[in-house]
Amino acid sequence: MTEWDPSKPILEIENLSISFFTRLREIPAVMDFSCTVMPGEAMGLVGESGCGKSTVALGVMRDLGVNGRIVGGSIRFKGQDLTTMSLDGLRKLRGSEIAMIYQEPMASLNPAMKVGRQLIEVPMIHRGASAAEARAQARALVEDVRLPDPDRILDAYPHQLSGGQQQRIVIAMALMANPALLILDEPTTALDVTVEAGIVDLVKDLGRKYGTSMLFISHNLGLIMETCNRLCVMYSGEAVESGNITDVFNKMRHPYTQALFRAIPLPGADKNARPLRAIPGNFPLPHERPPGCNFGPRCDYFQQGLCDARDIPMAPVEGDDRHESRCLRFDEIDWAAKWKPEKEVEASQVGEVVLRMDDVRKYYEVAASALFSGGDTKVVKANETLSFDARAGETLAIVGESGCGKSTFAKVLMGLETATAGKIMLFDENVQSTPIQMRNTDTVSSLQMVFQNPFDTLNPSMTVGAQIIRALEIFKVGKNTAERRQRMLELLDLVKLPREFAERMPRQLSGGQKQRVGIARAFAGDAKVVVADEPVSALDVSVQAAVTELLMEIQRKNHTTLLFISHDLSIVRYLSDRVMVMYLGHVVELGTTDQVFAPPYHPYTEALLSAVPIADTTVEKRRIVLEGDIPSAMNPPSGCPFQTRCGWKSSVPGNLCETEVPPMVTVAEGHQLKCHLAEDILRRMEPVFNFAAE
Amino acid sequence: MEELGWLAIFGRMAVQFLPVWVAMALVFGLSITWRRRLGLYGKLFDSTIGMIGFGIVIFWLFTAVFADLIITHDPLAQVSQMRNVVPGTPLPNPDGRYEYYLLGGDSIARDVFSRMVMGAREVLRIAPFAAMISFMIGIALGLPAGYFGGRLDTGLTFVANLVLAFPVILLFFLLVAPEIQFTLIPTVMAGVLFLVPILFLMVLLNARFFTQPGKRNLYVGGVLVFGLWAYSGLAFNADPLGFWGISPNILNVFVAVVFVNAPTVFRIVRGITLDIKTRDYVAAAQTRGEGPWYIMMWEILPNARGPLIVDFCLRIGYTTILLGTLGFFGLGVSPESPDWGSTINDGRRLLTVYPHPALVPAFSLMSLVLGLNLLADGLREESLKD
Repeated sequence: MTEWDPSKPILEIENLSISFFTRLREIPAVMDFSCTVMPGEAMGLVGESGCGKSTVALGVMRDLGVNGRIVGGSIRFKGQDLTTMSLDGLRKLRGSEIAMIYQEPMASLNPAMKVGRQLIEVPMIHRGASAAEARAQARALVEDVRLPDPDRILDAYPHQLSGGQQQRIVIAMALMANPALLILDEPTTALDVTVEAGIVDLVKDLGRKYGTSMLFISHNLGLIMETCNRLCVMYSGEAVESGNITDVFNKMRHPYTQALFRAIPLPGADKNARPLRAIPGNFPLPHERPPGCNFGPRCDYFQQGLCDARDIPMAPVEGDDRHESRCLRFDEIDWAAKWKPEKEVEASQVGEVVLRMDDVRKYYEVAASALFSGGDTKVVKANETLSFDARAGETLAIVGESGCGKSTFAKVLMGLETATAGKIMLFDENVQSTPIQMRNTDTVSSLQMVFQNPFDTLNPSMTVGAQIIRALEIFKVGKNTAERRQRMLELLDLVKLPREFAERMPRQLSGGQKQRVGIARAFAGDAKVVVADEPVSALDVSVQAAVTELLMEIQRKNHTTLLFISHDLSIVRYLSDRVMVMYLGHVVELGTTDQVFAPPYHPYTEALLSAVPIADTTVEKRRIVLEGDIPSAMNPPSGCPFQTRCGWKSSVPGNLCETEVPPMVTVAEGHQLKCHLAEDILRRMEPVFNFAAE
Repeated sequence: MEELGWLAIFGRMAVQFLPVWVAMALVFGLSITWRRRLGLYGKLFDSTIGMIGFGIVIFWLFTAVFADLIITHDPLAQVSQMRNVVPGTPLPNPDGRYEYYLLGGDSIARDVFSRMVMGAREVLRIAPFAAMISFMIGIALGLPAGYFGGRLDTGLTFVANLVLAFPVILLFFLLVAPEIQFTLIPTVMAGVLFLVPILFLMVLLNARFFTQPGKRNLYVGGVLVFGLWAYSGLAFNADPLGFWGISPNILNVFVAVVFVNAPTVFRIVRGITLDIKTRDYVAAAQTRGEGPWYIMMWEILPNARGPLIVDFCLRIGYTTILLGTLGFFGLGVSPESPDWGSTINDGRRLLTVYPHPALVPAFSLMSLVLGLNLLADGLREESLKD
């Protein structure tokens, strides 16, 4: 390695352009991208899917596959140009000087090798360390990434660890060679929020401890704010704004950044008074980018003849440290102006109870051994004593992390599974033991579902129109094909899709458009109760806002009851009237949104609230990081389901938490908690969020 | 007359194949012009491998179609003095017949070239249909096994494994052995095998159109009438109009081929179904109260088509080889038949002295199977790309 002055940037990317070559055309993925990362600095790359942020990371690793090529610019790492480096030189650099952490931890670990062996390999290959020395280092690092019982972990296979533990191992592996630069590509997207909070904490601490520079790629502005010193906002292959976190968050100077912030539900947003603002239009395809400013066609400040006349360079913002914006008009725009919605909408009126669940339980019996049936069977309690009611026109959010039983709840409600015990009343009709085949068309069509994954929600081999018409046929809407076709076109109008889309195949639609079709299909039979299973979690921020607004609008119009299943507390806070928090099959807290988001909290709700990254520098948050992972539903802890991770356990006398499932306590009108904590302790709880005075 | 040189032989063969060239040029021209609108089929023309495979396959397909125009002699006719003659030998007294045996004569003085061309027709008449029926049966059993799971799945998978574990050649010998042929077993098996496609189509259409009784009755009725008509002829040789018919020999071959292929298809379909049934659009269909057969036939099956099409191409190839094997053992089709397997077997005895009667059909068989495999490769490759 040549001499390198530590006061110089560790990574310098200058005017980098990367293209992918398909058989039809060249697709420019990244254009004119520049950024510098100083030693010990954490740089965030943020943008929507397809904006080229991962391509930049892969470009730095020179791992672009057969189709990708760097077509311009330079990447200098410690002064060496990576774009011209030989493969041999790159091999020495990768893994030892630059390490990368990917989104899916299981895909980064070799499933056939013990974790310990995989960790030991790194120093042995790069430094020629002895096995014993490497093992000692591995053990120390496993401790550093806060995994319990390092010896056992080193001796485990990857599949024996949970997702959070796997990601910690991947981080440990990346740190084994003590790299100067760590690239993290959405490292926590596949994990639950409370686990994510732990990883984020870890990454921050390790960065401080080892002085590693980081390139942190994420679509989540809140996460970037918590982890990075600087950030770079990307749009359609270009960096549009870069600067210090505080500068960009408080003094944004690019319309896209502003639009992005208006589209995410920050704590101050409110569905009636201050709705989210979706970015109009669609993300341009890489080969259909407009001339001039890429964001031009979607921009509020677009000026014809200026913004579309020529390529726009990055320009420094006066008075800030390395704050740049790719906008010609950022000096003219009044950035302080608040956005006003065209019209204020009234809150939807809450009517009578349409759905009542009473002590519903769902147990699965799992044979202990799959090969030979018989022997012991285990009971998995997916839902325990679920009781609540939902009223017409109301949005009830069901919140919880994976494995909490929210999907089972949806299945039981829809009739895809029947409840083990308890009562489900839908419009005074008892449906708990009626599977869907036995329900009459009315019941089925009035209780519909919107699914999570937009790429999975539509049958890929049927046109959009045919799929909606099929739903109409099944719900016996319309007398003949012509009538149904008319109704189908009206449904497309309802979800604000052009009527031509009826003839399109799902693969010709974007994620948000598919989700709209899914919504249209759910409302084909005038659904009265709609279960929305994470309908926006797979969508990009700007599209998320639009789909959320659409759901709200249809709800107001049709007076629909919306059961909104989500793990994202920001969006829940924004749109729901009441919230139900679930953990391991139990409802741990139930109340109106205001009640749940303010003390007294259930200890789990408190941790969940604290874990959600918030992209607002004025919000101060108490950090509560939960230890460990969610226990398996196969083997739940005794007593209170949350006792293994609870931070308040010591405040409960005796071993009550370990022996008894707490009762549901009513702490206020309509606000229930399932906790052993005494009332006076609950009263003393402090709020998780504090708004700094503006 | 002079014996023909190899150049002349190939030249004359190319002339004989003229209708095939014209048809191929048309297909390629049209397909390449419109390839952007033809979905997966159109994408095939972006891959060299796929195009070569497709070319070989349609070459044999058109050869089978235009066989009557291509052949130079009656494939069964014997011409004295032409026993085992080398390729390009002129006929002693043509009398208005074609003057040469282009690829020589076989051990009983028949034209090898014409037999090869007619053999393509024999092979392509059986292989694709046998593969298709295998597919329908494999799909009809694999879908419910994968979708419902449980006991049904365990049972069907066990039976499939049982059939797969049985030695194939032994099975063929048993099926075509006279002792078995003259019992009821082949007829009963044919009765079951040919019934499945009819049921398959009826369920398929009923699931889709039961919401529109008018259309449903028309479609399902149509399938029923047409299906039973064909069924009576094919399975029991009792077609009142005498249009559908199948010789007992070919029926046996059919039964054998289907019996061997269906379990493999079953396993593929079952695997894909297990994967696709977890998709949200299947859940969406369930939550709007669709019946299980609609979900299987219209939500799952169309989305499993990619791997199935690829496997279909490969399976036609296997079936062709299987037919060849059967012919080689003298099982199956009639002894006089020009199909490639039997011809290879006929030529085998004098292989060291006169290799050409056996080599020609062997090369044909190889090229067709190779073409199908290349086509399958091309399709697989292209279907994986964007």
